[in-house]
Amino acid sequence: MSKFIIHDHSNDGIDRRGFLNCMAWAGTGVLWTISGGVPSSRLFGQKPSGTSKADMTFVQISDSHIGFNKPANPDVTGTLQVAIDRINALDAQPDLILHTGDLTHSAKSAEFDTLAQSLLSSKQKQIFYVPGEHDISVDDGKAYLERFGKGTQGKGWYSFDQKSVHFIGLVNSAVLEGMGKLGDDQLTWLRNDLKKLSKSTPIVVFAHIPLWAVYPEWGWATSDSVQALTYLKPFGSVTVLNGHIHQVMQKVEGNVAFHSAMSTAFPQPAPGKAPSPGPMKVPTEQLKSVLGFTSVHSISGKHSLAVVDTSLGA
Amino acid sequence: MKTFIVAIASVFVVCVMASSAPDAVRGKEAFEKRCGGCHGLDRTKEGPMLRKIFGRRSGSAAGFPYSDAVKNSRLIWDEQTLDKWLEDPEKLIPNNDMATRVPDATDRANIIAYLKSLNV
Repeated sequence: MSKFIIHDHSNDGIDRRGFLNCMAWAGTGVLWTISGGVPSSRLFGQKPSGTSKADMTFVQISDSHIGFNKPANPDVTGTLQVAIDRINALDAQPDLILHTGDLTHSAKSAEFDTLAQSLLSSKQKQIFYVPGEHDISVDDGKAYLERFGKGTQGKGWYSFDQKSVHFIGLVNSAVLEGMGKLGDDQLTWLRNDLKKLSKSTPIVVFAHIPLWAVYPEWGWATSDSVQALTYLKPFGSVTVLNGHIHQVMQKVEGNVAFHSAMSTAFPQPAPGKAPSPGPMKVPTEQLKSVLGFTSVHSISGKHSLAVVDTSLGA
Repeated sequence: MKTFIVAIASVFVVCVMASSAPDAVRGKEAFEKRCGGCHGLDRTKEGPMLRKIFGRRSGSAAGFPYSDAVKNSRLIWDEQTLDKWLEDPEKLIPNNDMATRVPDATDRANIIAYLKSLNV
């Protein structure tokens, strides 16, 4: 499924060419776990030792940009379908799917229709969304909320429980002062939402724009995320997922693990490695290797979440 | 009575004019919501930096990788061209790279007033 393992001479689950490929495009090429609040990581392809069967698995897809048709990927509907097909083919079907925003490129009705139509082919019908700025900047999110935000608060934030995990979908793409912003109303809601939870509850936060300072110079950060993270600090296991930057990145800070997913549409340059962010053209044969989705496994009792990135490359 | 009606009508006209005048403060709010995801004033992001765009030739911000369509469009950005651009970028310059649009005319006028205010 991943193209990262071609020659595995040392039987460690990864080869040099694959490692370089992985590091060049994914930035990390690392699978990480948190056990009892202690994070650890290993390279793609290495098999975890002594892991239990996951109680719950979910998949994150992001940045489908339906409607985009430039050279970086003239067939974003096609690559989204590849992602869905790959998820459908997973050995263990996910309990749910998260989409972390930029469903569409221009928030047109036809684009939302195409995305919804594509996702009808997903075996897992339980799909949760948060919007990206491409989905809501044209009409303050009206079209998005009508289709994907029923029952949510404000601009589309909400929470729900699945098995032992508390999921929180946040919207940091509605007000943009050079970068993402949550705003006071949402922060108040978040604080109240967390009050009812035991501190041992595993929490998964998902939003479009990074809730950590990936690269503020390009707006890849959220101006008031520190306040949100203060509310999350007492909890033993917090996983924060985002899209927006179209590449895998990760950071662990205390009990909070941040993870950024690949896009299903097109890659973006690594921070500061180009004059500006935006769709990055790669050779056609490499495109699928820089697109993908993220699988997350939760193991109860250990409060352990394992995050695995899978490229669409053959 | 006639004088009174004229006075009322005058007040109405003044009110309508006041409510429809472009408002740079509201334009800043609209800019942040509608444009801020891709544009900064002094920093290149997914879109070019926009401070002092008024009077600038299209496709001329230093360091931004414009589409050929915008580079070759040779427009001068003013109230009229910006209004057409924001209303329907594809119609004004086919095959450009901008993803969004601003359908609301008041929003457009306010954003343009805000951008103009940054030229001083």
